[in-house]
Amino acid sequence: MANINWRTINIDALDPDSPANFDVSSLTPAVAPVSTADVQNNAQQIRQLLRGGDNEGALQGALENPPYGADDKGKETHLATVTEILQSIRQSDMSPMLSRIYKAPGGTEALDVLMKYIYKGMAQAAPASNTRNLTPQATGFSQIHSRGGGEGGGQAMSVLLSWHEKLVEIAGPGSIVRVMSDRRTV
Amino acid sequence: MSQSLRPYLQCVRSSLTAALSLSNFASQASERHNVPEIEAASSPEVILNPLTVSRNENERVYIEPSINSVRISIKIKQADEIEHILVHKFTRFLTQRAESFYILRRKPVKGYDITFLITNFHTEEMLKHKLVDFIIQFMEEVDKEISEMKLFLNARARFVAESFLTPFD
Amino acid sequence: MSGPEVHHLFHHPIADHSFSADRQTLAVARENNVDLFHKTGSEYKLEDELTGHDKTVTGVDIAPNSGKIVTCSQDRNAYVWEPSPQGWKPTLVLLRINRAATCVRWAPSETKFAVGSGARLIPVCYFEEEDNWWVSKHIKKPIRSTVTCVAWHPNSVLLAAGSTDGHARVLSSFVKNVDERPEPSAWGERLPFNTVCGEYLNSTAGWVHSVAFSPSGNALAFASHDSTLTVVYPSGPEQAPRAILSVSTQVLPFMSLIWSSEAEIVAAGYNCEAFRLQGDESGWQLAGSLESKSRPGLTDQREESALNMFRQMDLKGKSGTDDTKLKTVHQNTINTIRSFEESGSGVTKISSTGVDGRVVIWSL
Repeated sequence: MANINWRTINIDALDPDSPANFDVSSLTPAVAPVSTADVQNNAQQIRQLLRGGDNEGALQGALENPPYGADDKGKETHLATVTEILQSIRQSDMSPMLSRIYKAPGGTEALDVLMKYIYKGMAQAAPASNTRNLTPQATGFSQIHSRGGGEGGGQAMSVLLSWHEKLVEIAGPGSIVRVMSDRRTV
Repeated sequence: MSQSLRPYLQCVRSSLTAALSLSNFASQASERHNVPEIEAASSPEVILNPLTVSRNENERVYIEPSINSVRISIKIKQADEIEHILVHKFTRFLTQRAESFYILRRKPVKGYDITFLITNFHTEEMLKHKLVDFIIQFMEEVDKEISEMKLFLNARARFVAESFLTPFD
Repeated sequence: MSGPEVHHLFHHPIADHSFSADRQTLAVARENNVDLFHKTGSEYKLEDELTGHDKTVTGVDIAPNSGKIVTCSQDRNAYVWEPSPQGWKPTLVLLRINRAATCVRWAPSETKFAVGSGARLIPVCYFEEEDNWWVSKHIKKPIRSTVTCVAWHPNSVLLAAGSTDGHARVLSSFVKNVDERPEPSAWGERLPFNTVCGEYLNSTAGWVHSVAFSPSGNALAFASHDSTLTVVYPSGPEQAPRAILSVSTQVLPFMSLIWSSEAEIVAAGYNCEAFRLQGDESGWQLAGSLESKSRPGLTDQREESALNMFRQMDLKGKSGTDDTKLKTVHQNTINTIRSFEESGSGVTKISSTGVDGRVVIWSL
């Protein structure tokens, strides 16, 4: 207690009325908690559809009930499901499928959710890059082997990037704005 | 432009266009001040969810939007140590002259090589779509610049090595 | 339908603008001053400058009948300007706020005005005859963040306010001895000062940029930073509204909106163009842009000869057409749109101003 430097205390954080203590949770209209088990069950059902060849049904099912209320693990599980579906759909099928979903009732909502998963999917690649696996005394001629490693994750990203491109064509920049402003994260 | 670069830049372009919707917003924390909220972070409700656009694990863009400012951080491709050094020197050269570049931040965000800070005053003074064009062009050019510098460096190293080793032929 | 009338005033952002009732005088907020333009011929000429604020002016409003001008600024002050033989005479308003003022609007009765502020409250100001100055009463209660916009109900008692906490609210600003007791409406029957008649949040909860009551006052629309426009139809006091309709648009967020009739809203914002939205209690949808796509000036860009193209590449080192100019009339974000001309059936002309320093008058 004796050695506190009073000058460095952030007094705004201590005042319950200060703007710094705005309750961000008041911006999320009621989100029901979802258990991880439920998410996994849901993922099982969606995989079933996927195996049956019904890609569109699987995608729609996955986007209908995003687990906003789930914990990190549940959200990760659902992200994996969505990514799997996205990767199994051929490039030429993307645009027609998206415009069909857009025209269906609640379509804009579903595409907003898809946009959130695309950005989340791209953010996932980030942490891996911090482990730069360069040998301490590598010379300039080590470029060949390290380039091979450098393109890691490029395949998965290019799928997401082409989905993003197709999605912006249909849902417009408005859906990107909603990814940024929506406090219900996936 | 290579095949996978185009969708990447396209994605950055549309994300930036959406993020650069800025308005004049006076600080809620201190009176008669008008500060970039993304840097001050004094009111959580005016800061939006950040976006990441990545091409692979070594090349990505991180966009942090708020009501009156956007922070755009770029991780430039570094395939080996020479490129790492070149990128470091190149971005250091630019950030030391940040005043002349208006939208450049003096220090990159942790984990990235270079960061731009665009406020509502920039979008008012300059055309928004040209700002986006500039960032995209910067991303295109910087890759080219780095690989050119590397080629030049290697050529020079070879030349130096050759002239040193000639007497022993 | 004739093309839009464009006046390029200067190269500075216009935060807010207002026309006098006869549409001859135009007041625009330019940096720390308010510029008054007078119509001479087909142009607007700079006539006077209202100086007094020492930070960015954020709002200006001319009362249609009395001609008084109210301005507010980020320096926490508001002034009421009255014409006098020596020019415009300012009177300081006792706002009693300690953060920036963000917007200001006269009530239709012109006896009061409301100011939005970053101090998380709304001063409602009225003239005190005895002391001969403008005083304010604060609406405080449920507001948790900066108030970005205010709009009045036709009865001059109900006030709509949008805030960066994502809520659009309908509040009572009834001041004794200034207002007459209002008729009961769908929003409420007894309306003492600071009654919260409604508080609305849409599912994505973006900051609210603009609010407006419909011409009858029986519906409320608000535009927020998630590119949505939400229309609320109340059913009665203390009851859940009959319908809350939210339109998620594909375009960038809207900064300003007005009702042109009970079934049509015009909204504009970061897209640099104005859009029409149409609907009723059963649903609303985007009906298209106000820009006519075949404006002259667009076509001649495309008809570029090969010779011209190579000359461009040779002289300026660039290929293709000049992409500096946007295809819209406004070249940057539109901040404010207001009604310019009204007829019996609704608004027929609107004026818009934006960050690019242009004032544009559109016919609907």
